[in-house]
Amino acid sequence: MMKAKKVLSLLMTAVLAAGVLTGCGGGRGTEDAAQTADTPEAAEETAEAGSAEDAEPEEAAEEASAGGGIVGVALPWLGTQNWAEAEVMFKEQLEAAGYEAIIQAADQKVPQQQQQIESMIENGAQVIVVGPVDGSQLGSVLEKAKDAGVYVIGYDRLLENTTGVDGVVQFGSVKTGELQAQALLQGLEELKGEAPYNIELFGGGPADPNAPNFFTGAMSVLQPLIDDGTLVVVSGQTDFTQCATVDWDNSKAQSRMDAILSGNYSDIEIDGVLSPNDGIARAIITSCENAGQPIPVVSGLDAENESVEWVWSGRQYSTVAKPTNALVAETVSIIDSLLSGNGMPATDVTADNGVIDVPVYELPPVVVTKDNAKEVFADDPDRMALLTD
Amino acid sequence: MKYVKKVLGEDLRQYTMVVALAALIIIFNIASGGKMITSSNFQNLISGNAYVLVLALGMLMVIVIGQIDLSVGSVAGFASMVMAITARQFNLPWYIAILIALVIGMIAGAWQGFFLSRLGIPGFITTLGGMMIFRGGVIWISNSISVPVPSELKWFGAGYLPEWGPAFTGMNNSTLLLGIIAIAVYVTAQIKKFNHSGDVTGKKEEFWPYAVRIGIVSAVIGYATWLFGSGRVGTSFPIPGLILVILIILYYLITERTSFGRHVYAVGGNKAAAELSGVNVKRTYFLTMLNMSLLAAVAGILFVGRSTAAGPADGTSWEMDAIASVFIGGASVSGGVGTVIATMVGGLVMAVLNNGLMLMGVGADKTQVIKGFVLLAAVAFDVYNKKHRG
Amino acid sequence: MSDGYILQMKNITKTFPGVKALSDVTLEVSEASIHAICGENGAGKSTLMKVLSGVYPYGSYDGEIIFQGKKMTFKNIKDSERAGIVIIHQELTMIPELSITENIFMGNEIVEKGLINWEKERKKTRELLEEVGLHLDPDAIIKNLGVGQQQLVEIAKALSKNVRVLILDEPTSSLNESDSENLLRLMLGLKKQGITCIMISHKLNEIAAVSDYVTVIRDGKTVDGYAVEAGRVDENKIIRAMVGREIENRYPEHTPKIGEVILEVSDWSVEDAKVPGKMLCKNSAFYVRAGEIVGFAGLMGAGRTELMRSLFGKNMGIFRGGKMKIEGREVRINSVREAIKNKIAYVPEDRKGLGLNLLDTIRKTVVSANLDVIKTKGLLDFDKERAASEKYRDSLKIKCRDVGVGVNTLSGGNQQKVVLSKWMFTEPDILILDEPTRGIDVGAKYEIYKLIHELADQGKAIILVSSELPELLGMADRIYTIFEGRITGEISAKEADQEILMKKMTITA
Repeated sequence: MMKAKKVLSLLMTAVLAAGVLTGCGGGRGTEDAAQTADTPEAAEETAEAGSAEDAEPEEAAEEASAGGGIVGVALPWLGTQNWAEAEVMFKEQLEAAGYEAIIQAADQKVPQQQQQIESMIENGAQVIVVGPVDGSQLGSVLEKAKDAGVYVIGYDRLLENTTGVDGVVQFGSVKTGELQAQALLQGLEELKGEAPYNIELFGGGPADPNAPNFFTGAMSVLQPLIDDGTLVVVSGQTDFTQCATVDWDNSKAQSRMDAILSGNYSDIEIDGVLSPNDGIARAIITSCENAGQPIPVVSGLDAENESVEWVWSGRQYSTVAKPTNALVAETVSIIDSLLSGNGMPATDVTADNGVIDVPVYELPPVVVTKDNAKEVFADDPDRMALLTD
Repeated sequence: MKYVKKVLGEDLRQYTMVVALAALIIIFNIASGGKMITSSNFQNLISGNAYVLVLALGMLMVIVIGQIDLSVGSVAGFASMVMAITARQFNLPWYIAILIALVIGMIAGAWQGFFLSRLGIPGFITTLGGMMIFRGGVIWISNSISVPVPSELKWFGAGYLPEWGPAFTGMNNSTLLLGIIAIAVYVTAQIKKFNHSGDVTGKKEEFWPYAVRIGIVSAVIGYATWLFGSGRVGTSFPIPGLILVILIILYYLITERTSFGRHVYAVGGNKAAAELSGVNVKRTYFLTMLNMSLLAAVAGILFVGRSTAAGPADGTSWEMDAIASVFIGGASVSGGVGTVIATMVGGLVMAVLNNGLMLMGVGADKTQVIKGFVLLAAVAFDVYNKKHRG
Repeated sequence: MSDGYILQMKNITKTFPGVKALSDVTLEVSEASIHAICGENGAGKSTLMKVLSGVYPYGSYDGEIIFQGKKMTFKNIKDSERAGIVIIHQELTMIPELSITENIFMGNEIVEKGLINWEKERKKTRELLEEVGLHLDPDAIIKNLGVGQQQLVEIAKALSKNVRVLILDEPTSSLNESDSENLLRLMLGLKKQGITCIMISHKLNEIAAVSDYVTVIRDGKTVDGYAVEAGRVDENKIIRAMVGREIENRYPEHTPKIGEVILEVSDWSVEDAKVPGKMLCKNSAFYVRAGEIVGFAGLMGAGRTELMRSLFGKNMGIFRGGKMKIEGREVRINSVREAIKNKIAYVPEDRKGLGLNLLDTIRKTVVSANLDVIKTKGLLDFDKERAASEKYRDSLKIKCRDVGVGVNTLSGGNQQKVVLSKWMFTEPDILILDEPTRGIDVGAKYEIYKLIHELADQGKAIILVSSELPELLGMADRIYTIFEGRITGEISAKEADQEILMKKMTITA
């Protein structure tokens, strides 16, 4: 028995040796054409022109017509509804468009995502869509993609600190923040009587480049009213770093809300809370309920199913829908353009990622309150089903 | 069988993991349609996992002395974040930045070593504290925002050796040179060993097992050289891989060929006996912990070099990967057992699993499950083997 | 009951892969007797007892066990204990942090309505303790008891299980004289109550004192067995049967060549680190000359080991003053390392706990206390290491397949030789041997004695600490006695006998 095992293991070694000798891999010389744009200047040119015509089109077009082409989608995780939806929609829409889709999620871990992107390059992806865990920590990997002649499109979040990005598709994040703040004000006037109003502020995960933008957008609306006394931030915490919620972690937000309520609201009522997304909004509402506070006006984002129900039942005042469907569709249309040899579509908006100006394709988000929910979700049977009386 | 033993040595069991590793590589290569064994994938494999393997080197010694270090991920994150922030704030050149990270690593290690060796607080608790302190520290000083590092550092985390010389070799000549040096060193060592083989026992060994060994090892190194060297122009054996190889050689020598290394095993095997043999147990504890955190800083540098920025979550749960590598490499939970080479093989098993499953498009969730099973299976196999020895 | 035997093990054969550990062994034990089993280490005594107690389950050996007239098929220890056969191992198996009561009823708790009835357990414990002659609080924590007391608690635990046959594996190996006597007396008492004892022992005097019958096992076979006349046993006959050869003299002949004083200690005092105020050594003074073997006699706990370890780099207790001179010049040694540098070596009494790293190979162990010597250009040189270990393998006749094998694969005697090699490799002038022959079979003991003589002849000063008075009388040139941390006497070995030593070991001079 023991002997048989040893023989087996030796056989396996022999197989390896055989594999070694016959030789697999090694690509020197075959892809030389692909690695011309290596210098920063060339990279910038490429990015600014919004296309990479010089080297790629023929090859790309050829493969596109042959099998539709391979598209990699690297998502940060599947722990929230919008990302889970994105996974499904990318798969459906890319396959419908005739592409082979490699979709992987990184469980919020940067090294995991780096390796996933590399494996997509290995798998011959021609375009890689990246929803980054941390937009600034993919530098060398994305440059590797660029060197390999792969287009990189940021999805929902900006890719910073790298030349290896061709464009970003996202909802206007500053705009989103403004909308959240306006919805909050509207709710306060509607439900909480006369000013002044007691409010608290929450921000998103600092590693997500959108989070500070949401906050900036919101504060551009709120700050003047705080200054004139209409709004009172009772805890006094108004800096983004004070208000941020690490990793967008709902439980951290809930702990912070618990602490604020017990420290500042023992004898007064809270009227409203600026929340950067739905998960955090629900955490805040739960915290207020547990503390025996009346439910404040709370903003949100993402139109997650549960929050749509809460908005419908009046527990959460508003959310902002960033229809994942639209974002995915926009991304796929860019991919179509790239793989049919037409390069990146034109856009006026760019964002400075610290190294280059990245073309940005912005979509407008939509505020959802109980009043307009049925209109907004008219085309979304899943969410419509939640709006029952 | 007798002939095989002559070539590989008496204890064939030590090759179990090597065989497993080779089998994994082959299986994944077939399953992924030949995407596993390619130049670029192997380059990725090495540069993407060098930081874990560097941590595993230090963790091996920590586990051999019978301790555990849970803080390595946090220390790595902290050292590289301090480096990134100071470098940016004061516009420091990259070499000063690296020095800062290493010094921070050493201070962190001295801190942990102090509590373990002087106050006798178990390593598990000391470093659990360290894990929280340094993780909190990273988030605190960074305000939870990623900070770019000097661009030269990218060379350490994702760089390649220079191209030079004639093109007819069809390879990166730096890699080729390294491969040739490696083979030459191995061949001379074997020939020297053969020439000395009769010195002690008085009985000269046969030459053919040496020849077979030289043949096999040269073929493997030669193939690896070709694999790493024949990638896209501009690529080679990766710099983080080269740093790793240097560290492996260094730590192999430390663990096998220095008094300090012997002391590490002695303390882990029987602390009281070590003490009565003249080993300074406290010093050994202290230096081992210091070394671990220093290597954590090195790992942090390699990682942020590759990421081009230091992030607040850098290092989260790295300690678990390092610990898993050491145990898959056959180290004992109670200390005293484990080798550098086996640990590296253990780490590569994890890395290849990760990489292969990704190439096959298996999700992170299932990858985790599979890695968990592999860890259990490897250790269970080891325990079974030890029970049924002889 | 068949022929008055309570237990018969017939034609037991047990093979491990490649080794026949027991071959056709037969053991017949009479009811209510004390039956001794002798044999060299590795002869198969422990294997036989493991077969009997079900550690090796029925089916894994050939032959049969007949107990109280019935054939037994034990699958595990629980089975044999239920039948009334209880084994007490050399290493005690109680949980140190728990009380006597908790340990005695571990796994056998008196449970009423799902809860433990502590009152009943305590009451029963008190009765059991009385029975074994212990006057202790049932709630006392095990770790606070002495080794001898713990041994007795083990026996009390066995009694709680309604034992018929009690197996004691080297029961007195870690006990001092008075505890040993106590235990032997208890065995005689148990015999009167009808309990049969099987005792594995090296100590021929104990066998002579209590046993009714002796079985000698050698190389996995029963080689001899005979009834012991009350209090008289032919020791030479047993030794002959055990080792298979005549040992005309248990201690080799030796004429000492004594030179100058090498080590001189005066006024040495050490306080217990755990119990403030308790002195482990009080103003001890003694000297050792080159080529001389100086014995230290004392009961367990008298402070022999404490004194030696304190001399060896203040390794035990808190140093409270004293002077040490080596070859006339005063030295201050504060660590083991410095002690080694000053050419002192200490072979500890607890071989496995303190002397060896059982994970190491022979070659690594031999050089481990003197690594600097095998370095070439700052790195350890494996050729030198191998050469060193091969040298001692030859000169000390260490039996092993290769010096690359683990020390855990060696027998006790060979392990001790490896420990001695390790310290000889440091080339000491002063060699402290703390119980160097404990747990070693007779043949290996003889070799170690010869080695000690050789070392003395090389001009080394040798300190021999031993609990066995015949060993001291046979080996030492001069003997110091210790009682309660004080040196109570100094006597030339020629003038000493066991009685004189024992007197000085039990009263202050």
